[in-house]
Amino acid sequence: MTEWRGERQARDARIAAGRIHAAGKIVPATAAVDLLEAILRPGDRVCLEGDNQKQADCLARALSACDPEKIHDLHMVQSGIVLPEHLDVFETGIARRLDYSYSGPQGARIARMLYGGQIELGAVHTYLELFARYFVDLTPNVALIAGVSADRDGNLYTGPNTEDTPTVVEATAFKNGVVVAQVNEIVETVPRVDIPGDRIDFVVKADRPFYVEPLFTRDPAAMTETQILIAMMAIKGIYAEYGIRRLNHGIGFGTAAIELLLPTYGEKLGLKGKIATHWALNPHPTLIPAIESGWVKQVHCFGSEVGMDRYIRERPDIFFTGADGSLRSNRAFCQTAGLYACDMFIGATLQIDLMGHSSTITQSRVAGFGGAPNMGSDPHGRRHPTDAWMKAGREGQIVGDPALMRGRKLVVQLVETFGDKLVPTFVETLDALELARKIGLELAPVMIYADDVTHIVTEEGIANLLLCRDADEREQAIRGVAGYTEVGRGRDRAKVEALRARGVIRRPEDLGIEPLDADRALLAAKSIKDLVHWSGGLYEPPARFRNW
Amino acid sequence: MAGDRAASIDPDALSWYEATARQRVTALVDPGSFREFLGPTERRMSPHLPLFDLPRAFDDGIVIGRADIAGTPVLLAAQEGRFMGGAFGEVHGGKLVGLLRAALDLKPRAVLILFDTGGVRLQEANAGETAIAEAMRAIVDVRAAGIPVVGLIGGRAGCYGGGGLIAGTCSRLAVSEGGRISVSGPEVIETNKGAEEFDSRDRALVWRTMGGKHRRLTGGADAFCADTVAAFRQAAVALIDRAPAFDLAGLEAEQARLAARIARFGDCRDATEVWARLGVNDPATVPGMDTAAFEAIVARVGEADHDAR
Repeated sequence: MTEWRGERQARDARIAAGRIHAAGKIVPATAAVDLLEAILRPGDRVCLEGDNQKQADCLARALSACDPEKIHDLHMVQSGIVLPEHLDVFETGIARRLDYSYSGPQGARIARMLYGGQIELGAVHTYLELFARYFVDLTPNVALIAGVSADRDGNLYTGPNTEDTPTVVEATAFKNGVVVAQVNEIVETVPRVDIPGDRIDFVVKADRPFYVEPLFTRDPAAMTETQILIAMMAIKGIYAEYGIRRLNHGIGFGTAAIELLLPTYGEKLGLKGKIATHWALNPHPTLIPAIESGWVKQVHCFGSEVGMDRYIRERPDIFFTGADGSLRSNRAFCQTAGLYACDMFIGATLQIDLMGHSSTITQSRVAGFGGAPNMGSDPHGRRHPTDAWMKAGREGQIVGDPALMRGRKLVVQLVETFGDKLVPTFVETLDALELARKIGLELAPVMIYADDVTHIVTEEGIANLLLCRDADEREQAIRGVAGYTEVGRGRDRAKVEALRARGVIRRPEDLGIEPLDADRALLAAKSIKDLVHWSGGLYEPPARFRNW
Repeated sequence: MAGDRAASIDPDALSWYEATARQRVTALVDPGSFREFLGPTERRMSPHLPLFDLPRAFDDGIVIGRADIAGTPVLLAAQEGRFMGGAFGEVHGGKLVGLLRAALDLKPRAVLILFDTGGVRLQEANAGETAIAEAMRAIVDVRAAGIPVVGLIGGRAGCYGGGGLIAGTCSRLAVSEGGRISVSGPEVIETNKGAEEFDSRDRALVWRTMGGKHRRLTGGADAFCADTVAAFRQAAVALIDRAPAFDLAGLEAEQARLAARIARFGDCRDATEVWARLGVNDPATVPGMDTAAFEAIVARVGEADHDAR
């Protein structure tokens, strides 16, 4: 006789074991280790919530404090490897196998542990890809998540940083898994119900509020004139040219400079209302001046940003907010929005090769992907036309019946020819290849593949790769904007000039931009303090960004 | 877009914090009145930096000369914080000391020092330290001759190390919110005493301990300006006219004031405690205040204005 309810019975047994440590659903932080030891089984697939923003840090500490005799060989399926505890569990044997997406701050240690064989790696994913696998072949047995508050029934308020929580809970709770939430406080009534209580099995009252990294704050005081020049070129040569209204920005200084130039340089070019109106974007503080001057119609967010909560509350026409007034973010939906409903992704990278492949991997660090490869790719499932998408499609495809042509998403790399410490951005071979060989990865960790990239913008000019007709043209177009790097100096001058004559490469002067005009005076805000003023005092920057 | 570049030397629009030393000088004084001494064309550069394979500047990071401000002749020196953090080297220091000594002959109405410095240049430390001592000595001579020396502080590098010592010998100081005055910098304190004592990455802490508002409230600076060249110009003109006498009575009063200060505030663990004892009602709001609101607070605090210096 086939047993159809084995998973359900196993779940009931775990919950019964956990209840010993709980009063109803509520568990004190001091009993978190006991709770986890009661509900986990060796070899479980576990999702420990955490991404590039919020962290279920109390539960991460509890998991790493479990007895490896009892809890071992876990298969971690989680967005972020960010906290030291995320890797500690692999050193103690509590966990063995890993499927993840992002590992920014732990990039160096994870590389060493992969190399040393302490981690059995499944794959490094994009966020959306990993979320998808939660519903197919990486469904968690136990999810450990983070929220702001919960009531005694487990109704959960995630606050502005909802992020991955609904996705993780959906996959776990509806497939016989156990969901444990850490919260900052237990309340009588939550401000709004982000996750209904019947999907939450246990609520741990955390010893301190969950950690959130202010990853999307860029200090205007650190912006250079080179970055401003690149931003001017992008606005005039790409945003205006293609009429980009729906877009996503990366987190670098270049795109932050664009945000700060919209109300000044963009205004002067008469572009208000014509570009940059609808966004899939975290609430970047540098977007405040553009919002306040009426450029921005709507922003949907992956997560929140430290210090932006009050500002967002007072701008519900712009942001998605709940009945309680605070931001509702959702990483899975925002990633989907960025993939299918944006006409452009523009962001920075660390290395670009001669074909246009790019990577943020250096030889000793595996930073993971996060969302960029998903944002920075052309979705072949897209079917709705926009002018920007169609124009890019026409540039890229010159043969065949126009009615059978598909459009193209613009994927723009915005880089300085030399990065931090004068390391060249343009290289013959990506470090990612060497790293993949060293630690035995089947796929080299490429952030954005060459065939997805449409433009590269540097201080030397814009290379429009859509207009390149063969591999040689493409290589020369890249060399032609690579400045004084080895790659740039290796250019064929005649071919580069020919590409320039065709408009494949455009210099600042070809765009009518005088490099000496790239002055910090153009920035709508020159400091974090200016951003506070623009926000009418609503933006509350964290201490590390203040100089007052 | 040429208009934008013109705007960048408009004193009302030009941010002191953002400006270069030359932009500050040009916009601070009466238009066209600045005459530079030992300008970049003379290429008096550091003899030491090439030994370390470091780039040099034609003016060694300091601009000196004479000019009129509101029709009054002054000598002035402006440090360039973007070149080696405005640090004192042999030539850099020599130019400042020379300017101060020339004041005894040229008898300007005042000497202005536009500080923007992290202190002494490590690569030429002996010459730099000597220059600090000589500059302080020269300021004493200049002030004794009845010529006020006014320091203007609001640059990115702040006024640290020997710069902080020299500032202490000036007749008057004007500071903006972004300006910082101290001797040991945040990183130095953290390195020696630990992050528990002083977390240099906590920028709000750094500014409320060393920044312009704290210095103004405790009387370490005599004027607080908005971050524009026009505001610094206005402050400089006013301070020249309010410079204290330089005599034994003044020095003794200063000593007494400092002794009283350590007695009153010595056990405070944070600048906000100092402000509370000064009578500021809601000290936590001070960092967020705009210039006008802050001036109103200063006017109510007795500690901020005194001639003892």
